[in-house]
Amino acid sequence: MTRGRQVQRCSTRGTAHQWLSVILAVVMLAPFSVWAQTGPTVHFHAWGGSAQVNSYLSWVSEQVAARHGITLKHVKLADTSDAVSRVLAEKAAGNHTRGSVDLIWINGENFAAMDRHDLLLSDWVASLPNFALTNPSANPAMVTDFGLPTRGQEAPWGKAALVFYYNARYVDSPPQSLPELLTFARRYPGRFTYPLPTDYLGVSFLKYALMSLHQGDHAVFNQPVSQINFDRLTAPLWAFLDALHPLMWRQGDYAVRQASELQRLMSGGDLLLAFSFTAAEIPSAVARFDLPPTIRTYAMQDGSLGNVHFIGIPYNTSVPDAAKTVVNFLLSPRAQAEKQKTAVWGDQTVLDLQLLSEAERAAFQPESPSPAALPADAFSAILPEPHASWTDALREAWFARYGQRL
Amino acid sequence: MMTRFERLTIGLRAGLLVLLALPVTAGLVGVLLPALGYLPALGQSAWSLSAFRALFDYAGVTTMMWLSLSTGLAATCIALCGALALVAVFHQQRWLQQIQRWLSPLLVLPHAAAAIALLFVLSPSGLLARLVYAGESGALPPQWGVPYDAHGISIILALALKELPFLFLMVLSVLSQPQMAARVAGYRKVTQSLGYAPVTGFITIILPILYPHLRLPVLAVLAYATANVEVPLILGPNNPPTLAVAVVHWFNHVDLSLRFQAAAAAIVQVGVTLTAVILWLVAERLIALLWRRRSMQGRRHSGVISITAMAWLTLLSVILAGITMLGSTVSWSLATYWPFPALLPDALTLQHWQTGLPEMAAPLRNTLALGLAVSVTAVSVVLLALEGQQALRWHARHRWLHIDAVILPATLYLPLLVPGVAFLFGLVWFQQVYFADVVWLPVYISHLLYVLPYAYIALAVPYQRFDQRYVQVAYGLGKSPLAVFLHVKLPLLFAPVLVALALGLAISFSQYLPTLLPGGGRLPTVTTEAVAMASGSSRRLSAVYVLVQTALPLLAFVLAWWLPGRIFNPAARHTVKESKL
Repeated sequence: MTRGRQVQRCSTRGTAHQWLSVILAVVMLAPFSVWAQTGPTVHFHAWGGSAQVNSYLSWVSEQVAARHGITLKHVKLADTSDAVSRVLAEKAAGNHTRGSVDLIWINGENFAAMDRHDLLLSDWVASLPNFALTNPSANPAMVTDFGLPTRGQEAPWGKAALVFYYNARYVDSPPQSLPELLTFARRYPGRFTYPLPTDYLGVSFLKYALMSLHQGDHAVFNQPVSQINFDRLTAPLWAFLDALHPLMWRQGDYAVRQASELQRLMSGGDLLLAFSFTAAEIPSAVARFDLPPTIRTYAMQDGSLGNVHFIGIPYNTSVPDAAKTVVNFLLSPRAQAEKQKTAVWGDQTVLDLQLLSEAERAAFQPESPSPAALPADAFSAILPEPHASWTDALREAWFARYGQRL
Repeated sequence: MMTRFERLTIGLRAGLLVLLALPVTAGLVGVLLPALGYLPALGQSAWSLSAFRALFDYAGVTTMMWLSLSTGLAATCIALCGALALVAVFHQQRWLQQIQRWLSPLLVLPHAAAAIALLFVLSPSGLLARLVYAGESGALPPQWGVPYDAHGISIILALALKELPFLFLMVLSVLSQPQMAARVAGYRKVTQSLGYAPVTGFITIILPILYPHLRLPVLAVLAYATANVEVPLILGPNNPPTLAVAVVHWFNHVDLSLRFQAAAAAIVQVGVTLTAVILWLVAERLIALLWRRRSMQGRRHSGVISITAMAWLTLLSVILAGITMLGSTVSWSLATYWPFPALLPDALTLQHWQTGLPEMAAPLRNTLALGLAVSVTAVSVVLLALEGQQALRWHARHRWLHIDAVILPATLYLPLLVPGVAFLFGLVWFQQVYFADVVWLPVYISHLLYVLPYAYIALAVPYQRFDQRYVQVAYGLGKSPLAVFLHVKLPLLFAPVLVALALGLAISFSQYLPTLLPGGGRLPTVTTEAVAMASGSSRRLSAVYVLVQTALPLLAFVLAWWLPGRIFNPAARHTVKESKL
């Protein structure tokens, strides 16, 4: 009996010893197991100046963490070109596998710059299951970015067209065309401005103005700038701007750097007319009190510039698969429907709704419209983005003419 | 015989010099090389001056330089005159402590937060315009010149407002040093018995002996004012901007060839700051000459009215600015619709806080973690380095003491005098080549560069004032230097150590460029987010960020003032008794 007890005690001591070593092992390995569980981290470099986009991306982070165990970090950029130059600097410094940018929200000339320097992973978009839902064969805009073929380097994320909005408390009839804009500026001097052409909304305004001044002759804008007579084509634009600038906010001397500042200036009445590429951000800004309730959105009668924005994966990301998983989720009907909700962001989907199931399509139905929202049939004509080379050419010509601004 | 602890402290004192001087020097080299055309990563390794040529061909570069120089000099001048007038008029009056209490929050307010709050007040649809147009319903916001004015008046206002409390508290800190306090008290008695008005006595007799101790902090303010980025970025013009803002734009430009021009501009920025410093020193001499001639006339009441008026004007404008800035920021953060010229929003909502706070969670964590790490490191290093000074006094030869007394203050002010836009970009270059995937360490080091000097300044005075009799008694009882440090000095210095920790936190919280550049934007803090939000679409959300940015350092200081009373602390009781006497 005593002996048995002794044996038992021995074995208890033995087990205690074993347990101790197990606990020790667990404690020592714990940091590694935590590391193993958290999964990959994806740094999404995206412009961070819009509250709606930021909170939508927070939602996306929660979703991909729950669905795929991916930690998505939104790196909020003041200017997308910061991330482009960062990847470029990494390439220059020989960092080819441990890049700091895993996903980047781009289009237009930032894409052109990354394409030119081979900074993006290519031929991965077609392999995403959800990409087929954009119906690229019927929708060339899904694989063309400002006239440049995307070559599978970036996946479409959303669609946008230039809309204008005004404060109906002070303004009865907003301008419906470019010439009327000048009349408006004469009537309300200092109450309109456009961002510097370094901002994409700023250069978009120049493109809209240019194409509006060449009604019925838009084919020429699909060609690279080098093949046309740039000076002759743009002469009317400069004449128009020369007349407009003295009538603008701060006589055009201080130009806002970013599109988002237009909204801030609209909120206090400093400006009475502004424009945006995301029609839905206006009613949702009104709902968030960031714009007054007297704001009304409309589209110009002489056409609205339209384009698609994309997501790219830099070539030197350390987590390409996780990055692709995130993009595939961004293209899912669930994520696209969430993004299109006015209360969330209101960015138009890139999916072809005909290819979705009845239930999926229902999620895209608009909610009750706000008076500040763009009326359903507002667009009279969509002006396609000119060839990508126009962006730089217009910008350089603008700065050469009106002086450098920083 | 030196103990191991003493050796450690002396070693750390030398280490502090390296910690401060090395990154600044390396950064300057890192920016000088591309300025001279050497940047192998971009395929350029031939020395040339083409970057400087490109810079000076750039239209508006002289305006940029002038803007940096003029705003910096003007802001420093206003801040210094205001601070000196306040001290001259209110010195040794009960008011002084009140003023000190009211100015302290402005001291810890980050520059970016102050600039954004001032934007809320000055902008044409801001509080000031609403006060002017109150009652005229239907009025449109005016189209006046500020902010973004071409002469940088808004920049000057913001910088002066921010630097005035700093200089004011520096003056008080100098005046409270034991030797200084005794001298000043003596001179004061003499001037008063000779019939000088207190204000006249202060500016003719006390100021000349006070100013040499103030020179380095003033120059640090001047250097910051000529070269900072966030204030002109938020309030300044952009046709053209100040030079420092241009440097940041060029460095971040997609066109990498602009990096050479940016590096050249960064070197020119060093030149601009240096010019400002030289101009300031020359002006100092001139004023001193005139002053001497004037004070020889022996007028007993000269300047009383003008300086008293200046002090009151300063006090009123600072208080008014503080109230309107706080008022409009709080209002914006809670506002629903707020049409022009209404003085108050239509209604209040917590919605912006509910949106803003969750978004801020990660930046807030980064801010706190970074601030704590930096501040604790800085205060520990500084305490040991100050202890090293004691050890040097005990053991080292006179020559070493002399060298220490010359080199340390100069090195301490190095990161504060050399423009951050210059050496930080150079550091980024090294970082991208050697530590491409390290994020926290470079940010930690660059924050440390800015926190260390202030931690040293904040702790040096209490260390000097420390009653050596405690130490002598402890040594007499056979305690080692380590034991004296741990069991006598640290408990007695508990309160100033906490204040230094809080100051370190506040400075780390407020860093914009030293967070953005070395972290490559991968380490968002409340300050970097707030600056990004300042150009964003929502004034209301921006206000939430500003308030959090303001609350953080305030909270640190409130803790630093409150904790010593809660925890055993004879020093606190001692100072209470002292101040009653």
